[in-house]
Amino acid sequence: MLLSFSEKQIGALLPAFLHIDKQLNISAMGPGILRHLPHVRIGMPCAEAFNIVNYDTAQFLQEGVNVQPVSLIARDIDVHLSGAAIFHEAGCLLAVRFAITEEMFADSSMDLSDFGHADPVILSTMLIVLQRAMLEESQANAIELAHARQRSTDLLERTSRVAGYMAHDFNNLLSVIRLNTDRLSRQFGKDEKIGKLVEIIQEMAARGSEITQSLMTLSLQRTDMRQPLSVDQVIHDNMGILDSVVGPNISLKLTLNANDRKCVVSYSDFLNALINLLINAREAMPMGGQIALSSSVGVGLIKGDGDTDADMAQSDSYIAIQIADTGVGMSDALLSRAFEPQFSSKPNGTGLGLASVRNFAVETGGDVWLESAEGKGTTAYLHLPILKTVAPLVAVSSAVAHAGASDALGKKRILLVEDEPYALEALVEMLEAEGYAVTPCASGEEALIALGQDAYDVLLTDVVMPGQNGTEVARDACIAQPSIKVILMSGYVPDSAALQPGWLFLHKPMESAKLLQLISA
Amino acid sequence: MYGMIHRAMRQMVHEELGEEAWLALEQKLEIGPTELLTGMVYDDALTLEIVSEAAARLNLSVDQTLEAFGQYWVRFAGQGSLSSIMKFTGQNLASFIANLDRLHLAVGSAMPGARLPAFATLESAPGHLVVEYRSDRVGLEPFVKGLLQGLMDRFHACGEIHVVHRGEKSILFDIRYQDKD
Repeated sequence: MLLSFSEKQIGALLPAFLHIDKQLNISAMGPGILRHLPHVRIGMPCAEAFNIVNYDTAQFLQEGVNVQPVSLIARDIDVHLSGAAIFHEAGCLLAVRFAITEEMFADSSMDLSDFGHADPVILSTMLIVLQRAMLEESQANAIELAHARQRSTDLLERTSRVAGYMAHDFNNLLSVIRLNTDRLSRQFGKDEKIGKLVEIIQEMAARGSEITQSLMTLSLQRTDMRQPLSVDQVIHDNMGILDSVVGPNISLKLTLNANDRKCVVSYSDFLNALINLLINAREAMPMGGQIALSSSVGVGLIKGDGDTDADMAQSDSYIAIQIADTGVGMSDALLSRAFEPQFSSKPNGTGLGLASVRNFAVETGGDVWLESAEGKGTTAYLHLPILKTVAPLVAVSSAVAHAGASDALGKKRILLVEDEPYALEALVEMLEAEGYAVTPCASGEEALIALGQDAYDVLLTDVVMPGQNGTEVARDACIAQPSIKVILMSGYVPDSAALQPGWLFLHKPMESAKLLQLISA
Repeated sequence: MYGMIHRAMRQMVHEELGEEAWLALEQKLEIGPTELLTGMVYDDALTLEIVSEAAARLNLSVDQTLEAFGQYWVRFAGQGSLSSIMKFTGQNLASFIANLDRLHLAVGSAMPGARLPAFATLESAPGHLVVEYRSDRVGLEPFVKGLLQGLMDRFHACGEIHVVHRGEKSILFDIRYQDKD
């Protein structure tokens, strides 16, 4: 089959083509040559305008047969062409195209018109340039998304805080309603009509309490309270979960030597921290291996970097948990960023696992860090402060120390601290009616004065109060009068590692019966 | 349309009315950064919602906004990450329009799912072009007119663009222009 094309048609397919006749002169050329090599003219010897790379130009054109690859360089200007030389009886068609690079897109005087419509190189180069542009835009997108997420998180946090405050205050109001309806019931409950009204009010207060509970859940208020927990016991009780986290290809070896010593932690937060560390170890061993999970009691500085602060300096013992894997290990660069939020070396990693472990450790007063050697594995160290079981005794005045807790009539003495006057009044009345000797205080400061003047069996205190708060009062009360029973009451679940073992907690709005049960227990 | 178009619309609203106006638009339409992902192809209905909302804020009709946006899009693409490929597509009005389909061929390969139009130069003489625009989409005539105006701006030309024929899937634009330089 013989196909015949006009110069114009060939020029559309190959804008930089050249035709060389038998005399080795240029006999035709494409529009690209005209645009970019204006000194090249019809009739000019090819060798005068171009060098053929690796060949003598005249010899190549004279001796060539059939189709041969060819590269040309213009003599007077830095222009490269490449393609095929097609030899035929009337001469040679140089079916060549301008060499193109990505950089030329921005800098060159050439444009798409200088390249053939079916030129696959130009299409693929354009694709590369486009994808690079999209990558730049995607990076900008990613930054915008991260900022948007941060804004949402901030807003959620602010909203949560406001919702938490509202729930707390509402619980306090409900508590006053609850306590005063109990008073009504005690005094006038025999009247059927009043008794019925009391029931309605109490039911409504209970519904209100459910609403505040939902509000607190929605506002992400901590519902899982920190409590003294035996680290070994938690690990032991959850072996099934931990085993399934590491998977069948990895053996999990346990050495628990913390001897049931306790830390004040949230159960679920502690378990999550362990799971995150195990996931990290598992991911480092795609082909399987071994993880050694151990616990022990350590003495000295709790922090990995040797940093200490005033509180930490007093810590003399901690529970050390180690999770050592036999995985690929981490480079120094990776190690230095491992705890950064949203940083992950894994393709599908969120970068939140180790960051959340660090948050947990720091919030608990401990620390977490990694040690790693490439090819040898990584060990995670999680140190948590051990709960001090007994508060140090402080001498109380001899009058107080010898007074004994109960009053002259043998009544139990209750130090009651509540900044809400109606709740205080209702509680005093209810407790006195039950035969207790009550010392009411409207603030933490008043309570501390009372503690210095008298001995008490029970401290019953609100938690959130202006000035000295309830946990501070309780701590001082335990120092001054170690045998005192502490009952905290609040609309919040206290979020504090300062809670001591043996302290009791009542969620507001509370039922009188429950309170009396706790006092008498 | 693809997300880069939405980003350009945001930029235009920023420049014309300020960032607050765009945030209000986002709030009204309940959209955010996830509707501005460059390589993502979105439903035309969303794009038109954005244009309509922008039109209300710019105090323009939707058609006027589309035309203004077409003109703006050429400037936006010419200044951002697409600047080099815009330059490579053509260095004068006639060659740029002649090469638009080839640019779109590459765009279509980079963004599968994008529905791209076709342009053909039916007549070309110094200062005069007749350009056929073909697309499955309807309602984008003002946007294309704005694009052609934007291209004249890009190549420092001034002139007039008239629609000389409207077919079922095609529109013929008559462009008469003079180089300012």
